[in-house]
This record gives sequence, structure tokens and C-alpha cells, in this order.
Amino acid sequence: MPEVGRTKVVLPERIERGEVIPVRVVVQHPMDTGFFRDANAEIIPAWFINEVRIYYGDAEVARFEWTSGISRDPMVVFNLKADREGPLTFVWRDNKGGEYRGTAEIRFSA
Amino acid sequence: MALDETLPRRGFLKTLSGLGALLAVEGLAGAARPVAALGAGLLRGSDPGDPPIPNEIVARIYQERFGDRQPRRGHVVLDMPELAEDGRYVPVAIESDLPMTAAEYVKSVYLIVDHNPDPLVTAFHLTPALGPLAIQTRIKMKRTSWIRAIVETSGGELWADYKKVETTLNGCG
Repeated sequence: MPEVGRTKVVLPERIERGEVIPVRVVVQHPMDTGFFRDANAEIIPAWFINEVRIYYGDAEVARFEWTSGISRDPMVVFNLKADREGPLTFVWRDNKGGEYRGTAEIRFSA
Repeated sequence: MALDETLPRRGFLKTLSGLGALLAVEGLAGAARPVAALGAGLLRGSDPGDPPIPNEIVARIYQERFGDRQPRRGHVVLDMPELAEDGRYVPVAIESDLPMTAAEYVKSVYLIVDHNPDPLVTAFHLTPALGPLAIQTRIKMKRTSWIRAIVETSGGELWADYKKVETTLNGCG
């Protein structure tokens, strides 16, 4: 059984100060719509991430509204202006009250 | 745009569709259903050739999110496959040439799948800290549908792009 909420953030190997970098993030989550049935014909209840907040240092830089229309084990790629060193933190919240976090450090190449 | 240097989009989308195919083989939960024809529109889009508003749910989303403002085509590109083999994993890429400065930026990106049970699949709320708009993700589709990518600027302008995507395997249930 995969660990729900486990987050993997992929950053470029080398980051120069001020550069726009692609950030790739994947979080493990079933993203169940509530419309499918399991092998015993029981409804699989809706269970999905409905809010994402992204922090760069202390600043919130993005907020996503999600539904179960996002695919299982959600993946997002977006650009970030890497203008300072610090943590990039993802906070995922789901419709059952679950909260999960993942962090990657933005560090400039020497 | 220098975006292509930042995000190797084509290669990435290939990777994504490969992943989708892999997962499709792994386990098929949803049964394939006949592809329904696109319904007749209730309202017209603002530019000729825009897909009409297909149903009350989408009309309500427009009313709640955009009020009286009508999106115009331009400044945003929605990139999706014309044919998505697996409705559970449909790659989406949204890019824009609109500025991302403190004075003027893309505030929100709305992705609407006309014929999904919950058509507003996602809304991304952004800040200038992100840099030029280029977002990729994967979504579910219930059946063949028009997809709408609508961006809202900090000044309240709405820009849109639309794609019709065919799919056979129901990804929503």
C-alpha cells in the first residue's frame, strides 16, 4: 500500500540565483471520485485532495483548488523564480481532513 | 517565448502518456461506455467558433467566477492530446505569454471539462513569484468533451483557449 501524502519534489540539479526553474511535484493520493465500485461492488467513497498551498520561505506563492477530476497520484509542473534560498513547501489537504506536507530546499549552485 | 527552454514540454508529455499507458495496462476499473455527441449549447461563447456553454453547471461556474465578463481567445495556449486513450490520465499543459510582474500578473487559471460530473476540475491561484505561466498536470475525463483553459489577470481580464478531446475509457466513474 503506497503511503498517502508522500511527496516527491524534483528540482534542477543546478540553480542560479534569479533563474526561472521548473518545479515538478508528485504526491501519492488515490483521488477517488466516489463513483467507482470495488471488486465487491461496494462504492469506493470519494477521497481526494481539494486544496494545495505552496510556500516559498514564509510566503505563500500559489494555492490550487482541486477536485477528484485530478488524476490519481497527482502531478504538477510549474515555473518558479528562484530569487532566494529557502524551503519550498507543499501542503496538501483532502476532503476527509487529511493534511500532508512535502518540502524541497532551493539552494544556489556554488 | 523562452518557456521551452525552461520546461521541455514535448518530451515531458511523451513521458506522461507513456505512464498513462502503463497504468492502463495495470488495472482497468471503469468499463468503456459509448461516446456521446456534444450537446447543443445553451449560450454562445464570446468569439465566433468558441464552444457554446454546454449545460447549467458550466453556466453557473461562469457566473460565479467571471460574472458578466466574457473570456476572449488569446494569450493562453491549452495543449492536450486530441485523442486520450485513458480518461483517467489525460495530460494537460497550459502556457501564457502574459506578464508575471508585481504590477500585472496571471492571478488564476481555471480548467473546465464541459462533460465531467464536476466540470471545474481545478483552479490554480498564482502570484508573480512563480514566473512565466507554464503548468502541466493530469486530469480525468468522463467522456469526449470540450476543455476550457481560462486565465484571469490581476487587472480582471479573461483570456481563453479551448480544445476538444476525444476519449473512450471513462476516467470519472
